[in-house]
Amino acid sequence: MLLSDLLDSDAVDADGRRVGAVIDVRLEVSGAPRQLLADAVVTGLLVSPHSRFSTWGYERRDENGPLLIAKFQRWLHRGTFLVLWDDVEKVDQGRVVFRRGYTARDAALPRAPRER
Amino acid sequence: MTENPDAVETDAAPPPAGRVLDAHLHVLDRQVLDRDDVPVTTADDLELDGIEVGARIEPGSPPPTVAAILTGPQLLMRLFGGHAPASRTIRIPWRLVSEVGTVIHLGVAGETLDATWAERWVSRHIIGRIPGGRHAPE
Repeated sequence: MLLSDLLDSDAVDADGRRVGAVIDVRLEVSGAPRQLLADAVVTGLLVSPHSRFSTWGYERRDENGPLLIAKFQRWLHRGTFLVLWDDVEKVDQGRVVFRRGYTARDAALPRAPRER
Repeated sequence: MTENPDAVETDAAPPPAGRVLDAHLHVLDRQVLDRDDVPVTTADDLELDGIEVGARIEPGSPPPTVAAILTGPQLLMRLFGGHAPASRTIRIPWRLVSEVGTVIHLGVAGETLDATWAERWVSRHIIGRIPGGRHAPE
């Protein structure tokens, strides 16, 4: 499957209610070690209840400039949440179904070590 | 657990076991450079292994992994929809990636990749036929 097949998909809960759209796929470079870099594993899906497009990821970082764009992007993507891959029940064409009782998690990106 | 995803209160994500990347934000449209910092292409899409469309995902099954960076006609497919035939898709296996930052670094020379076939073709069939086109300027 291609990443672009997942992006923009409708995210629905176990009862078939639409909860948003998949705007990004969270990866972690923590899979099987390779000679250069470990495998990148899909750990979750980012879901925005209000928009299908997220360009700059302001809602996931504490970046604040330019202020107007940051404010608009945060407003557009208010309520964005992360659903771990373990909570994904099924991937259909243009639709991702979450398990019953899935957990909506904080979408913020962890800070890079040098920023801590 | 949050019943309503609109709610601001969300559980924290578990601590990461490695570098965290958001595929669209950190990988798509980034320039790909080879081991000598020579531009190769851009990352137009990613191929994910381990997702079967329409099949139920059993709890505890291994998560999908990134198999390759796709380039070539894939950008048009991403923008306008559809899939390029497999024979037209140019893949750069993820195992060749050495670093993901502002750009994506590969650990191999670009000339060994299918992604640079057009440049090699032009170099051999057009530039190479121009007098003096087969050696560096003196």
